[in-house]
Amino acid sequence: MESILLKLKFSRWVAALHLIVFILVSNAIAQEKPFRPEAGKFPPLEKAHSYRGELIFVDHANRRGSIRVQGAGMYFRNKSHPFAMLPYGIIRYHGAPAELRDIPIGTVLHARAFLPPDPKLSSVPVLPVNNRNKTAGYSGKGIAPAENHVILLEDEPSFCQREGKVWKLKQVEIQNNAGKILARCESKTGEVKTEEETMTFDAATRIWRGRERLGVEDLVTEGIWPANGKKTLNDQAVLLGITWRPTPKGVFTRFHVSDVWLDDTAMQRAAHNQTETHKAFIRSRWMPGWIDAVEYGKFGHATVTATLFGGMDDSLYADFKKGVSAMMNAVENTLKHTHGAYGPSHMASRGSILEVVKKDAAAPLGSSGIQFRFKTDLIIEGIRPGRVVRVCPGSWPQVQIPREEYLGGNNPEERFPTPAIFPKY
Amino acid sequence: MVKPIRIHWIILLPLILVLLASNSRSKEKPFRPKVGEFPPLEKAHSYQGELTFVDHANRRGSIRIDGNGRFRFVAPSPFALLPYGLVRYQGAPADLRDIPLGTVMHVKAFLPPDPKISAVPVLPVDNREKKYGYSGTGVAPAENHVYLLEDEPSHCKRLGLVWRLQEVELKEKAGTIIARREAQADKGKVLSETFSVDATTRFWRGRERLGITDLTDEKTWPKNGKKDLNDQTVFLGISWKPTPGGVFKRFHISDVWLDELAMERAAQIQNETHKAFVKSRWMPGWVDKVEYGKFGRAKVTVTLFGGMDDSLYADFKKGQKAMLASSENTLKHWAGGTAGTAQMASRGILLEISKTNKRAPLGSSGIQVSLETDLVTEGFRPGKVIRIRPESWPLLEVPREEYIHHTLDGIEKRFPTPDIFPKK
Repeated sequence: MESILLKLKFSRWVAALHLIVFILVSNAIAQEKPFRPEAGKFPPLEKAHSYRGELIFVDHANRRGSIRVQGAGMYFRNKSHPFAMLPYGIIRYHGAPAELRDIPIGTVLHARAFLPPDPKLSSVPVLPVNNRNKTAGYSGKGIAPAENHVILLEDEPSFCQREGKVWKLKQVEIQNNAGKILARCESKTGEVKTEEETMTFDAATRIWRGRERLGVEDLVTEGIWPANGKKTLNDQAVLLGITWRPTPKGVFTRFHVSDVWLDDTAMQRAAHNQTETHKAFIRSRWMPGWIDAVEYGKFGHATVTATLFGGMDDSLYADFKKGVSAMMNAVENTLKHTHGAYGPSHMASRGSILEVVKKDAAAPLGSSGIQFRFKTDLIIEGIRPGRVVRVCPGSWPQVQIPREEYLGGNNPEERFPTPAIFPKY
Repeated sequence: MVKPIRIHWIILLPLILVLLASNSRSKEKPFRPKVGEFPPLEKAHSYQGELTFVDHANRRGSIRIDGNGRFRFVAPSPFALLPYGLVRYQGAPADLRDIPLGTVMHVKAFLPPDPKISAVPVLPVDNREKKYGYSGTGVAPAENHVYLLEDEPSHCKRLGLVWRLQEVELKEKAGTIIARREAQADKGKVLSETFSVDATTRFWRGRERLGITDLTDEKTWPKNGKKDLNDQTVFLGISWKPTPGGVFKRFHISDVWLDELAMERAAQIQNETHKAFVKSRWMPGWVDKVEYGKFGRAKVTVTLFGGMDDSLYADFKKGQKAMLASSENTLKHWAGGTAGTAQMASRGILLEISKTNKRAPLGSSGIQVSLETDLVTEGFRPGKVIRIRPESWPLLEVPREEYIHHTLDGIEKRFPTPDIFPKK
C-alpha cells in the first residue's frame, strides 16, 4: 500500500515537473520571440495590442504621429507616444476611410498596434518589448507600449460602428452652455455594456442632426436641454466624437465630447463627406498594395501578382478591372512614391491588368482580399515579393503630388525617416 | 553745351549718393522685431500658402508658399509664430491645432527677432528673391516669424472683402468655379480665379451643412454643364489638391459659406473653442515694467497680447486675485514638482487695468494690467513673455508637451531647434 502511494506521489511529481518545465520553456520562448509582423503577411488582428488616446502630433507625409495614451494613471501627465502606421495600416474617421491629415489634433483614437516589424527601420522610437507593463510615475502603466506600429487607428464613431456599439445618453448637467454628460457605450442590442462615463461638453461642442450643425445653445433654445440644471436623457442613442481637455477640480482623466451625432442621417452625411475626401486622395496618390509574386519574362518583361491593401471605398477597388491599363510604382513603408518630380507616372511601370481575383474567405485586416495580375515590360528592383507598391488604373486622373510626398534625392533619411523628430521627455 | 550737363550732374550726384546710401543701409539693417515692441504691420512681408505641418506645442509649422512657379514643386517652408503672433480661423481667434492641414493661409511675417534662438531655419535675409527651380521665387522667404496667420474667410473679413461666384461648371459631382474677390463696399481691388470643387466641398447655409449633391438635387446647381452664378456673394475656405490636366496651380474650395448666418455660426464655434483654450492655458502677454519692493515683493505691469475674444479681457478686473507665470517665446508654461503650472506661478492682486485710447498695434490688446505680488521671479523682467490668469478662470493642468519641467527638461525644450524640419 505504501509503495503504491509512493509510486503515485512519484508519478505526480514527475507530471508536475513536466508541467513546470513546459510552462517555463514556453514562457521563455514567448519572451524570446514576441510577435512581430512579417513582410508579405498580414498579421492577425487578435495578436495586436489595443489602446486609446488623444492625437497630439502628426507627420502625415511619413504616416506617423504621437498619441497621449490612456493608461492607469493621471492622463494629463502622459507624455506623447510616437506611433507609425504600418504600410497596410488602416485609418478611419467619422466612420469612413481616412488619412492622418484628415484627423484634427486632439481627437481621441482607438489603436491596434504591433511591435516594429523591423526595429532597424523603425521611424519611431523602439522601446523594450515589455514596455506596456512599465509604470511611469503618476501616469501609471500602459502609456508607452512598444507596440507602436499601428494596423488600425479609428476615432470613436468609427470604433463604435465597427463594433456595433452606440452611446446611450443618461443625463446632462448644464450651466452657461457647458457641463457634463453621463453616458454609457453599449452594443446596439444592449447585450454588452460598459461602465458609465462622465464627459464634459461646452459651447464649442458640435451637435449634428440630419443636415444641421447645431450648438448646445440651439438645443437649449429648442427646450431639448435645460438652460441650467440636470435632465435625464432616457438612454438616447447617439454616436459621439471624443477629445480631451484639461479638467478642473482635480479630475485627472475626463474626456470631452467634441461632436454628437443625433441620428443616422447625420452620421451617414459625415461619413459620406470623409469617404469622398479619401477617394479623391487615393485616386491622386494611387492604391497601395504589395507584391505577392513575380514571374520574370525576357527583356524586362514580367507578370506581377499583387494584393491591394484594404480599408478603402469599394468604388476604388471596382476600378481595377481585367483588361484595363495600369501603372505600378515602387514605394516605401511610408507609402511615399520613390520619384515624383515629374509626377508618379514618370517612373512607373506601365502595363495591363490580366486578371482580378477576389478571395471568398474573409480577408485579414489590412488586406482588401483582392489580388490582381499585371503584365509589364519594365520590371524594376522595387517590384519584388513583399515590397510595397502603389497602383493606378488607367481611369484615374494623372496628377502631380506635392514635394514632401515623394523621395527627391539620395538622402537615406528621406527613405527611412529616423525617430529623431520626436521630443524626449 | 557743356555747362547744362555739369548742372545736371551736380543735381543728380547727391540724389545718387542718397539712394546708394539708403539702399546699402537697408541692406545692412533689415527690419527685425525688437523685444518689448510690437512691430508695425506695414513692415511685415506678406505671402500665402498651404499649411502642411504643425508642431502646435512649439507654435511652429510649415507652409507650402505660393510663389511665382509651379506650386506642387514647392517644398514646405518652416515658420514660427511670434509670441504675440495671431492665428485666425473661420473669422475667429484660433490656435495652430485648430487649423486642418491643407488649409490655405495668409501670412504676415518678419525676420527672426533673434536668429540665435530661432525655432525654425534661419535663411539669408534676401532669400525671398531666390529662385528655387520650377518652384520659382518667393517660396522660402527669410521672413518666417509670423505676426498674423489667417485663413481665407478671416482674411476677407479683416479686409472687408467677399468672393462673388461667377460661373460653375460640373461633371459627375466635380468641376470648377470661377470667382472674383473684391471689396464688399466698392469694386476696387479685384482678383479673379478659377478653383476646383468636388464632392468633398462643404456648403454652409444657415444651420445646414450641404454637399454638391444637395445643391444639384435642389437644382441650385446643374448636375452637368455650366451655370452663371450671378455674382453670388459668399465666403470661401480654400485648400489645395493636385490638379489633373497639366494645371500646375489651382486652389480648391473646401468650404462655401452661402450666407452671413452660416459664417457667424462657424465663427462662434471657433471662438468658443479658443476661449476655452486661453482660459486653460492663461492669457499671454509681456512685462512692461517691474517696480521692486522688499522681500521679493514687486508691482509688475504687463501688456496683454491681442486678438482674443473681448470677454476674456473683460475677466481682468481691478482688485481681483490673479496668477502670473513666466513663459517662453513658444508660450509654454513652466512646471515643477507634481502640482503642475500653478505651483510655479506668482500670486497677487490686480491693482490697475488700463486700456489705451490709441489704436493698439496688431499683437497687442492695448490693455495694461498691474499686479502686486510677493514672489517676483527671474522670469518677470521687462520684455519677457508671461501668462496671466484671473481668479475667475478654472485652475487646470496643461498636458505634458505644453510645459517645461524645471528639472526634467533640457535646454532643447526651452529653445526648440530647427532640427525637426527636413533639409531642403
